Amino acid sequence: MGFSIIWYLREFIRGEWLKNFFFAKTAPLVDPPYFRGYPALTGKECTHCLSCMMICPTPGAIEVLREGETWTPHIYPGHCIRCGLCVEACPEDVLDVGRVLETQHRDQTEISVRYQVTVKPEACVRCGNCVVACPVNKEADPQLGATGTSANDEVIMKIRNGNLWVIHDEKCTGCKTCEEVCPTDAIAIARVAEGTQEGKA
Amino acid sequence: MTDLLQKLKNAVRSRSIHVAYVDTGSCNGCDIEVLACLSPRYDLEQYGIYVHNNPREADILLVIGCCTPQWEDKLKEVWEKIPEPKAAIAIGNCPVSGCVFNREGGYVNPPVSKHIPIAASVPGCPPRPTEIIRAVLSLAPTIFADYEEKKP
Repeated sequence: MGFSIIWYLREFIRGEWLKNFFFAKTAPLVDPPYFRGYPALTGKECTHCLSCMMICPTPGAIEVLREGETWTPHIYPGHCIRCGLCVEACPEDVLDVGRVLETQHRDQTEISVRYQVTVKPEACVRCGNCVVACPVNKEADPQLGATGTSANDEVIMKIRNGNLWVIHDEKCTGCKTCEEVCPTDAIAIARVAEGTQEGKA
Repeated sequence: MTDLLQKLKNAVRSRSIHVAYVDTGSCNGCDIEVLACLSPRYDLEQYGIYVHNNPREADILLVIGCCTPQWEDKLKEVWEKIPEPKAAIAIGNCPVSGCVFNREGGYVNPPVSKHIPIAASVPGCPPRPTEIIRAVLSLAPTIFADYEEKKP
């Protein structure tokens, strides 16, 4: 008879059943291979381009520090959100995590970053502070006028005919010195990250 | 004989960890990961971890969230209600750094270790359920084993 106490006792006092009951561990405590953990170093040399720090969406999560003669990115676990963007942004494959680098190589994806210079014409007083303060302008035209005028067309922006012209914003390195010196907060630098696949936009 | 008794106590204690969790202002991402630990995929209770929402019957407090100012005194009260031996684990980035909420104008007061003693932290935004379980399982024996001998 299938429903007697003896049937139940025989059913439940089996070695395998007891083992499952007391020692069952359904999910092994290991992370799956697709899991993105914290970015780890691959051993390739860091060139200190700081792409990883620029793309990082969280404050204080990654820092490129000097160790002897080389630069090494450091990840701070309490701040990092494991998005994997630093791995994708790095042109030298210094960092790797999960399958990010593998997928990136397979799909030939790239992240490029440029900076957009926006000037609010109604707030700008054409003082030329931004033109003079910009370190890229100083490299491009050492003869820069004190009021922001320049005879050179290689500068990022310059004052001409009493107006501020942004000529080469692709040269901007995103240092935001111009934002700091602007008396009216008229100039703004925006970082534009663009993802491309196999050279196509 | 006392050794054997102590070993038995330690074995039982390592299979009976009672956990309370408190959300001090998170985005609910970490709460969902803690709840995922309860699901059949991870099944917390097979490791002997039991979740209560009552600090008086808890051993371990899971602190989630970046600690808004409203929680400062209440978190301390919750911590004081837990009977000894006790430990607090910070879950996620928020109790460590404030994560996305710790921006200009954010009304938060991280880290949580300013308000209550934190024994371990599980960083991540959010951390995996496996990481949470692993933290609880590795912390509990060090806190609860031979507790009588550690008492002052």
